[in-house]
Amino acid sequence: MSVTRNAKATPGQPLIELHHVSKRFAMHRERHRSFQDSFISIFRKTQATKDEFWPLRDVSITIYPGDCIGIIGRNGSGKSTLLKMISGILPPTSGDLTVSGRISALLELGAGFHPDLTGRENVYLNGSIYGISRQKMSQIIDKIIDYAELGDFIDTPIKHYSSGMYVRLGFAVAIHTEPDLMLVDEVLAVGDAAFQRKCMDSIQQYRRQGGTLLLVSHDLGAIQAICNRVLWIEDGVIQADGHPTDVMMTYQRYYVELEEARQQTHQEAQDDEKNNKQRWGNGQVRVTQVELCDAKGEAHTNFRTGDPMTVRLHYEAKGVIEEPIFGLAIHHQQGTHICGPNTKFGGLTLPAIEGSGIISYLIPSLSLLAGGYLLSIAVVNQNNTETFDYQDRTITFHVYPGESQEQYGLVTLNGVWQRENETVLAPTVTEKFYAR
Amino acid sequence: MIANNNVPIKPLRQPPVIIQRLQELVRYRELVRNLVVSELKARYKASVLGFVWSLLNPLAMMLVFTVVFSFLLTDKNRVEKYPLFLLCGLLPWNYFTAAVMGSVQSVVGNANLVKKVYFPREALPIAGVLAQLVNFLLAFIVLFAALVVFRAHFSPWLWLLPLVILIQTCFALGIAFILSTLNVFYRDTMMIMDVIMLAWFFLTPVVYSAEAFPRAHLILGHIVDVRRWAYILNPMASLINMYRDLLFLGSRTDLDFFLRTTITALVVLIFGYWFFIRYSDRFGEEL
Repeated sequence: MSVTRNAKATPGQPLIELHHVSKRFAMHRERHRSFQDSFISIFRKTQATKDEFWPLRDVSITIYPGDCIGIIGRNGSGKSTLLKMISGILPPTSGDLTVSGRISALLELGAGFHPDLTGRENVYLNGSIYGISRQKMSQIIDKIIDYAELGDFIDTPIKHYSSGMYVRLGFAVAIHTEPDLMLVDEVLAVGDAAFQRKCMDSIQQYRRQGGTLLLVSHDLGAIQAICNRVLWIEDGVIQADGHPTDVMMTYQRYYVELEEARQQTHQEAQDDEKNNKQRWGNGQVRVTQVELCDAKGEAHTNFRTGDPMTVRLHYEAKGVIEEPIFGLAIHHQQGTHICGPNTKFGGLTLPAIEGSGIISYLIPSLSLLAGGYLLSIAVVNQNNTETFDYQDRTITFHVYPGESQEQYGLVTLNGVWQRENETVLAPTVTEKFYAR
Repeated sequence: MIANNNVPIKPLRQPPVIIQRLQELVRYRELVRNLVVSELKARYKASVLGFVWSLLNPLAMMLVFTVVFSFLLTDKNRVEKYPLFLLCGLLPWNYFTAAVMGSVQSVVGNANLVKKVYFPREALPIAGVLAQLVNFLLAFIVLFAALVVFRAHFSPWLWLLPLVILIQTCFALGIAFILSTLNVFYRDTMMIMDVIMLAWFFLTPVVYSAEAFPRAHLILGHIVDVRRWAYILNPMASLINMYRDLLFLGSRTDLDFFLRTTITALVVLIFGYWFFIRYSDRFGEEL
């Protein structure tokens, strides 16, 4: 193991180099915290079970000045440990680590602040933790205070601050000290929307000035907006490292599959009791099975915006039923009723049905945006005066962001933007649109 | 990028680790300063008298010890101008205890800093000791007032005083490094130190004179110069003796004394610093 830290960055050389770096934690099986325990353990030769945990294994990364790297992965995947090793809080267990240049790190809320000191005093303290002289801090302190928007609170002890205020002050100091490298671990999520936008603007500006950034976030949109490279870490191993769009697609695909497996086991258990409560109808036609299928005809419970989806209703009719109507309803998990297509609206007149069969509803491109949705099923007679089977919001499915960048509201309308006087593109785009 | 990525480019020669760490510490001198200030501020926060306590405290202690010992000490052991004599020993001793006991907790007590941000960890015990040094220097106001009141004779060797303070600071710092490290791994260091400091107090001629140690005493069939050994084994005895020579007696202090204590203090400091940086990497995960 070797760790090298250079105070200044060498132009043209990487800022950070990790070479087969691993980190091991001894899982705290109550380590001997006192002499008494140590003494006892001499006699008890039972050698407390050594549970090891490797938050990072064999990680090799090279980061050049000007990179802006997003780090994604689920909780506990090793993202924070990586940042802590780069910042110097934790030493690697094995491997070589070289870090050059001055680092500002926003790893935790209020880190580097002394609760009893005022905001202003803490700015100086925090600055000195980043290795900035008092003189330099005096020059920029007004800008920092202004940026943090703390008003009169700047001269109150920091222990009275709200978490949003902590974050504003912490970020304000970090960005104004103009570090070679900035490490940000999720803390920005604490700020309100206005401050988050302000942070993003500042980060963009910092990048334009050639600053290097490592950003851990669960906000994939933010990462996509500012990063030029994304690392996906899972179980302490780098799963993907590359262009943001590529890495995120891989990440989401993996995540959707994982979620599906989890939900399947979960749902089977719930199915029985649910059916009785949220189902009514005289039972002359019963929908026995509902499948949500992808393009290949495989059943899933997770889809991405823009994916094709087919809802297949397996029914069983007792006797002959004249012209029944099959319908669906989709609700957002928070209750909004989004749509309710049925065979009558769709222009499909069914002849008399008997026995069992399948009715399917084909959606060429799912326009629902990311979120959880509930599906209801109904079979009624031709005048909607008799309900054969009604299953109210019994089926859940999830939608994850697809290639569409849209994120506001519930649905995308699959519209196309264009400039009216555009001569070259307009006809082709319009043609393509109406051709569907 | 012209650099060949396969060959790691290393500087020709890295200075030894201890030098690198010292260089880093110098870069972070502003942090040490800020930590000292925040420690002092935090101590006097919400107290009405504030830093006046730095002056009142030694005065009050002087009063207590003078009253108690005027009953306890026999005529044989009685010291002229006892309050002044006591103050010359008590102030340095208080500085030493406060510096050691304060910095034992310095790393553990700042766990939230150590776990969340990087900075040279040695800044914490250093700031702990320096904060007490500031206090000690303030208390000198009381001491010099007492010197005037008791019309003590000012020694021409008084210029040595800053050096003596420096040596004591080095010694205290060395101990602080060792104990603050131990306390991270074993929290009972704190408890044990309570007892050790009490014993150390009574073994050091603070409230009594070193004259109380016999020059010749028979231990296990050997004649031992207890006073000499007390000085050799206990650097604090030598240090307090130096303060008394310079301030109370107004004489000069012995050179061999001075040298031996200096060397002891430096050895303790260097060992302590080495010990501290050897283990300080692990603080982040042990806390």
